[in-house]
Amino acid sequence: MASFRSVIVNSYKILRQNNGVIGSFLKLFRHDDLKWGTCIGEDKFGNKYYQNNYYFYGKNRWVSFPPSVGFDFDASQVPPEWHRWLQYITDEPPSTHPLPKRNWMADHTENLTGSSKEYVPYSTTRPKIEAWVPPKK
Amino acid sequence: MATKGVLRLSVPFTNSWRSLFGNPLRVTCVSVRSAFTERNDDSALKAISTSLVPYRSKSTEVAPAPTSIKKPYSPFQGPFSSKAEYALARLDDLVNWGRKSSMWPLTFGLACCAVEMMHFAAPRYDMDSYGVVFRASPRQADVIIVAGTLTNKMAPALRKIYDQMPQPAWVISMGSCANGGGYYHYSYAVVRGCDRVIPVDIYIPGCPPTAEALLYGVLQLRKKVKRMNHLQAWYRK
Repeated sequence: MASFRSVIVNSYKILRQNNGVIGSFLKLFRHDDLKWGTCIGEDKFGNKYYQNNYYFYGKNRWVSFPPSVGFDFDASQVPPEWHRWLQYITDEPPSTHPLPKRNWMADHTENLTGSSKEYVPYSTTRPKIEAWVPPKK
Repeated sequence: MATKGVLRLSVPFTNSWRSLFGNPLRVTCVSVRSAFTERNDDSALKAISTSLVPYRSKSTEVAPAPTSIKKPYSPFQGPFSSKAEYALARLDDLVNWGRKSSMWPLTFGLACCAVEMMHFAAPRYDMDSYGVVFRASPRQADVIIVAGTLTNKMAPALRKIYDQMPQPAWVISMGSCANGGGYYHYSYAVVRGCDRVIPVDIYIPGCPPTAEALLYGVLQLRKKVKRMNHLQAWYRK
């Protein structure tokens, strides 16, 4: 049970980090969560990563998506380097411990399902069945 | 290593095909040489810039473009020809928001996938926080989660239950058995995918998919519902 004093202190820190009452409300409206923490790093997509061990394990690391994605944020927008930090595969964030870059590594893309760039599977083999083509009159 | 040498030789894309197929002798000569010589850092960097392989920039790099431009909530931003179209777009937004924020699935657990569906309902992957609440009756459900192997015997029941759901009804096909027969694809007693019986919106792969995967599928369905334009389509007709 959190003491009364810690509740006050945390509320103050949350309000200060999220730009006041209105900023906190907008943050809560968009992310369904209000926390305060130290910014561990930022990736090239504009996602910011936070950590605060005051919160329980599993809730102590989180990502804040940039305003350019609006309400359409998605877990697949987190690149793999940060994913491994965010999911506790490692404790070392890639901002301080960068991973080796290989030639074959492709650039990270989010899940494009539902957009115009979505992947559509196609067959590369000849169909086994010859479909009947109706005769033209 | 040989292919690497080929790829790194070519500077523009049109020349690359020539170097790949047009002049095999030259390519092999270079690739053999490059295979046995240590390359220093400068030439490696040069090779990166001329490579055909898309090279990943560091994920820790700070965003190049200003990401402060806000993306609007509504997917319907297009130029509207009349005020009525604009009003209907906003109405669509409102209706979609209501639909996506409380999607009530019907449990249709057929096999082991149903266990993962139960985990999705349990506190760790708390589905109630997304407004997803299981209903026992198809009359009260928006979504049906087909979790497991659909047998021939069960297929008429699934179709009947789907028809009893009020429209619009969505379908989540969960697991490889429901997606396409999966392990039992060649069995004489199994329907090869529940999309042979009912129209499916979201396919979740896995055998069985994790509760997390099901959660992601539900979130994808929410995105899909957000794009629905029933009223606008009705007006255009």
